Amino acid sequence: MPAIAVAVVVGVLFFLGYRYYSAYLAEKVYALDAAFVTPAHQFNDGIDFVPTNKHVVFGHHFTSVAGAAPIVGPAIAVFWGWGPALAWIVLGTIFAAGVHDFGSLAVSLRHRAKNIGTIAHDVISKRARTLFLLIIFFLLTLVNAVFAVVIGNLFVANPGAVIPIVVEIPIAIFIGQYIYKTRSAALVPSLVGVVLLYALIWVGQQYPVDLAPLASAIGIENPRNLWVILLFAYTFVASRLPVWMLLQPRDYINSHQLFIALGVIGLGMLVGWNEIVAPVVNDVPEGSPSIFPFLFITIACGAISGFHSLVSSGTTAKQIDKETDARYVGYMGAVGEGSLATGAVLAATAGVVATRGEWDALYPDFATASGGAVGNFVNGVGVFANNLGVPLDLAVIFAAVVVISFAATTMDTGVRLQRYIVQEIAELAGWHKLARNLSLAGLVAVAVPLAMALIPGGGDAGYTFGVLWRLFGTTNQLTAGLALTVVAVWVLRMKRNPLPAVIPLVFLLAMTTWALFSQFWDFTQGESWSERWVLAPLDAVIFILAVWLIVEAVGALRRGSRREYDESGSPLGDDRDVTTR
Amino acid sequence: MTVRVVLVRPWTDAHGGTGCCGGDARDGICFEGRVDGPREHDAEVNLVAEAYLRLRREMPEIDVQIVGADNTAYLLPSVFRAVRGRRGTLAALREVNRATTGGSVLVDGERVGDVTELGTDGVVREVRRRAALPTG
Repeated sequence: MPAIAVAVVVGVLFFLGYRYYSAYLAEKVYALDAAFVTPAHQFNDGIDFVPTNKHVVFGHHFTSVAGAAPIVGPAIAVFWGWGPALAWIVLGTIFAAGVHDFGSLAVSLRHRAKNIGTIAHDVISKRARTLFLLIIFFLLTLVNAVFAVVIGNLFVANPGAVIPIVVEIPIAIFIGQYIYKTRSAALVPSLVGVVLLYALIWVGQQYPVDLAPLASAIGIENPRNLWVILLFAYTFVASRLPVWMLLQPRDYINSHQLFIALGVIGLGMLVGWNEIVAPVVNDVPEGSPSIFPFLFITIACGAISGFHSLVSSGTTAKQIDKETDARYVGYMGAVGEGSLATGAVLAATAGVVATRGEWDALYPDFATASGGAVGNFVNGVGVFANNLGVPLDLAVIFAAVVVISFAATTMDTGVRLQRYIVQEIAELAGWHKLARNLSLAGLVAVAVPLAMALIPGGGDAGYTFGVLWRLFGTTNQLTAGLALTVVAVWVLRMKRNPLPAVIPLVFLLAMTTWALFSQFWDFTQGESWSERWVLAPLDAVIFILAVWLIVEAVGALRRGSRREYDESGSPLGDDRDVTTR
Repeated sequence: MTVRVVLVRPWTDAHGGTGCCGGDARDGICFEGRVDGPREHDAEVNLVAEAYLRLRREMPEIDVQIVGADNTAYLLPSVFRAVRGRRGTLAALREVNRATTGGSVLVDGERVGDVTELGTDGVVREVRRRAALPTG
């Protein structure tokens, strides 16, 4: 079947989901009211709380939530066949992610645009705040570890990508400084940055950088590990710089790359008319992780991402002009993420190779499939770009540069966010020195994921994809579970139908706890000490958090919200604790 | 026809962050937040805020938005559409670029000045002039 035909069908399904299901949610479940005075109007300060056109808010929201993570999970999950992977991406986006992202935004709007963690504390229990912090801590630890290894692997596999990516950093700093000092427009300098980046792809191809000799000279067996160490050293420094100095100009370059990459995938697929050569359902070898529950936590953000609730409630809710705009901004944000995940599935099943036999060689078992997943996506996009006339070797480096750029920016931001979380946890625990020392908190934020990324064992691919990615998926789904609990309790308290939130909540929690339990058993039987003494305890801790979440969710759904509400669904009581900068 | 005014956030009022698990690198993403490093850019942020609030108060009939300089998904097509009809494609492309300058004041897609240079009074005056509204 041509990949473009599948893309069109998925697009139609997403459209129907938005047209009908989100309309049902808006009217019957969240009962949006165009006359409701949103927090943006109530607290309009022209800084954080600003009533804003819905297209402006969507532009901000989408670029905040769309990135590299929805690429990784689906590119691994096609191991079970493209049918189940795509089915969960489509169903998950329409019935889980849409409900979650839109719901988090709707709840936040009715809670004075507070962050989801604070609302969880208000609505569920005081303990929910601690639970939330711990889940996010593990989520960021795992995502930073995974992305460091993603980049390390891509650098080792595509040494031609090193020069463009490394030189992008001073280019971005220069652009940031130039715009700041000269107060000039950002568009042309950032486009020049993109052109320079792509010119450097040619330079990188001529001068590939291989760290293997250096790694072996200093006693590091795997050159990927040297890259991982260098990456964390870089993010420690980068996370201390003001956002406008490096992160923002890099993001600016990346936002152009996002649209270029989406265009290349769509057009390349259309021009090349690539057939999907992977099986609809793959007959996986014995001993592989089972489709239930592992497909769901592997796809993770490709179908539903708990992290979106942080963006929805943290920033987006403060800018919503009319409450009814939440449908477009929240639900379409989820659809955008689902579209990226669909592109990843098609690149890894239609773009990357031309025959079923070649595909089977890339996905012979779960370890190989997961270890090579990002590389397969990169090669797939490379083939799509090649369809448009770009020489294949350059096209592959181009695709690697796009993925690494996104992964590196996610790491930059992830380490920065982790520092905030470390400070929050330290404050809560009464460790004031750690809470107030940015360098110390930054060191903790870097050291923990670094240790995770360097866990020995797991063969050539390491533990990162086979194991750490799935553990990341569980924390991501737990974050979504917490947000869905908040949504369900609020909807129930308003005497509306909570099932649209409760059904995905139950499904996510069931898949997550099942996966964690099953993995724990495997780890305890593992041959290496890393499995028995690092991964098993880590899995156990996340399992305890999952059970804790289930207890909190059941309790909250049975007893109802801790907050009292008026008839419109807005909480009664003072607003002294409204979140402000 | 409604006059559309866009105030572009200062370059230093950056939120940054890309992507799932990395979006929106701002302090207090989970809870109350704390001040993260030097905030020397607050003066300019406050100036934009002040201009915005005055425009809303004094000219409620116009449409005022605050947009990040990095929000190209909105700025680029909206400015291009607004200007091309009146001044042609080349001028529209030039305005598209100018619109991404932090601190810009855009009236119907055209950059009419900079918040820092104009000051709050200047922004209000300039918007009134462009909108051909009677001064009050």
